[in-house]
Amino acid sequence: MCKHKNINFVFDLANNKIIIDSKLNSFFSLREILKYKSLLNNLAKRDFLVRYKQAFAGIMWALIKPLINILVFGYIASKINSSADTASNFVFVASAMLLWQLFANVFNDVSNSIIGNSNLFAKVYFPKIIIPLSSIVVCLVDFTISLFILVVLFIFSGQIIHWHIVLAPLFIILTLINGFGIGLYFATINVKYRDVKFIVPVILQFGMYVTPVIFPTDFYLQRMPQWLHGVYCLNPMVAAVDGFKYAVFGNPIAYNSYYFLISLAVAFLFLVIGVKYFYKFERNFVDYI
Amino acid sequence: MSKNTVIKVEGLSKQYLLNKSGAPKSDTLYGSFLNGLRNVKNIARKKETEEFWALKDVSFEINQGDRVGIIGRNGAGKSTLLKILSRITPPTYGRIEYSGRLASLLEVGTGFHGDLSGRENIYLNGSILGMSKHEIDRKFDEIVAFSEIEKFIDTPVKRYSSGMYVRLAFAVAAHLEPEILIVDEVLAVGDAAFQKKCMGKMEDVSQNHGRTILFVSHQMAAVQNLCNKGIYLKNGQLVEQGLIENVIPIYLKSGAQPDSKSFYHRSDRTGSGKVKFESFKLLNENYQEIDNAQSGSDFFIEITINATEEITNYVASIGIDDDFGTRITHLSNDTINQLPSVLSKGTSKVLFKIKRLPLSSGIYTFTLFSSSNNEILDWLQDAGKIDVESGDFYHTGKIAPEGQGKIYLDYSVSIL
Repeated sequence: MCKHKNINFVFDLANNKIIIDSKLNSFFSLREILKYKSLLNNLAKRDFLVRYKQAFAGIMWALIKPLINILVFGYIASKINSSADTASNFVFVASAMLLWQLFANVFNDVSNSIIGNSNLFAKVYFPKIIIPLSSIVVCLVDFTISLFILVVLFIFSGQIIHWHIVLAPLFIILTLINGFGIGLYFATINVKYRDVKFIVPVILQFGMYVTPVIFPTDFYLQRMPQWLHGVYCLNPMVAAVDGFKYAVFGNPIAYNSYYFLISLAVAFLFLVIGVKYFYKFERNFVDYI
Repeated sequence: MSKNTVIKVEGLSKQYLLNKSGAPKSDTLYGSFLNGLRNVKNIARKKETEEFWALKDVSFEINQGDRVGIIGRNGAGKSTLLKILSRITPPTYGRIEYSGRLASLLEVGTGFHGDLSGRENIYLNGSILGMSKHEIDRKFDEIVAFSEIEKFIDTPVKRYSSGMYVRLAFAVAAHLEPEILIVDEVLAVGDAAFQKKCMGKMEDVSQNHGRTILFVSHQMAAVQNLCNKGIYLKNGQLVEQGLIENVIPIYLKSGAQPDSKSFYHRSDRTGSGKVKFESFKLLNENYQEIDNAQSGSDFFIEITINATEEITNYVASIGIDDDFGTRITHLSNDTINQLPSVLSKGTSKVLFKIKRLPLSSGIYTFTLFSSSNNEILDWLQDAGKIDVESGDFYHTGKIAPEGQGKIYLDYSVSIL
């Protein structure tokens, strides 16, 4: 591997001139991503078309998988958490579960995206960030389809739509940011250490139990000492899930909003770290694959 | 950068670090478990590595409209150079400046997905190569027509024959319109007719549209046909650059690598083994070892043999096959009545002289056979390869067209 750290490309678009220099750094460039947006579209389209190809139930799997999870964990929640009635337990679990599944899919797909598409950037140049970005799109499509479950449950349980619902997209975006930031970090490690494919499922499994997916946050907070509350909220998905529940059901966040801000800050910190880390090694991926 | 220069390369170097003490691969579960433990334990320790310079201090400039052939042996750094120019891998040192849109074809059909239809793959592959949707829309019909697969455009490409697959893939690539096109030996695919079509397309692009092409190939005839400039790389260093007519002879002359080309390891032989083929060399007319023979030049195939006893009526023959495995010709000291009176014990050399090699460029395989008094001594199928570069067989300064047969005949034409 090259020990030289400062390498990359600069685009002098005014002169239509490209400089490749061993002394220049690579960086995030929105302009370059936009230049390759048709590639982004086509990769996303490919992933989507291929995902359910030759599967008998096809796109139905986008519904079946979360539905089973919701039924199982909704049942468990309604047995254990007596502070809410069965119907609302199910709806709470459904909303959190869908969001968590979005996070899990994004995290997993992004972390595998680079090695999964190494045949592309080993032969053609394009900004590699396009690959993880395109894998988000498919996850988002799956998520949109699975929202159907939530809508049905919502109507059945007799909930009313609150104006807060307009905030929901913000928390979906926050979830994407979480999955993307952490995923990007793991995607980078994955290039050299394929152990990632074993670690990610473990993190996700563990992560689901420390995120207010099955039980609400205060359920967790009531059962842990005061000093652990801050630690608990370091999980960036806490803010996303609680925020989403707030947006969908209008129930206010029952705990110190300071913790909410911690969780939010961690999310953005992860994004920055993930992107930085990715760009630090991006140029040398080919030499490692 | 002068006005005409489109690519300027300065002091380009690329270093790879090879893992010297990589843990030995283990076949057993227990062994790989131990390897895993060792790796985890060693993670902090710096691994022993060996430096390898794939490219070293390469500088050159390319003018607009130049068609540059990059030549050199395997491992000379040609592909690394193309990869750096294509921005696939970064240089360790050095700098490149270029202007205009650059597209690289290091492979045809990058990103093709078997489950997607021809149509979907055109869009996917096109966008990977850097075409916009609008651009692909505009050229779609042309691409389909070029590939000659109109009927199957909505069939998943995994159902395509390999020929159709390659045609479609190349058709997309051929419709790229970059100012600079980088082509690796992708043309070595498909049938001869299609190859010709591709070469024609590339020539058209460069000559009629003033585009710059960088082309890597082992086929000197193809390079000579297409390119006007040449860059000769050897062991990562630039040996020669300039007009292609001047660079190719320098490349062909250098050769003589201490490549063993021995048969010791071959166990798939037939015969009594009283005389065994040990190794072979290709020599030019001055008895210097060469890697490639050249059409129209004299050359020798020198075969080292080892006899365990004295042999009478020793017959040695070479059967030469083309790349499709068709026997082209057969050389034997028996046919031309040149049997040795007796072959002495120990090592000897059998020298086949071939005058004005009448084979066209390509890679030929040969089989070695020896016998004595109807006893097979040693028989080695596909013993080695002869790489024939195109050359001036007719001493006219012209080269017979590529893809027009395997042999040259000594002929004349009279018009009465």
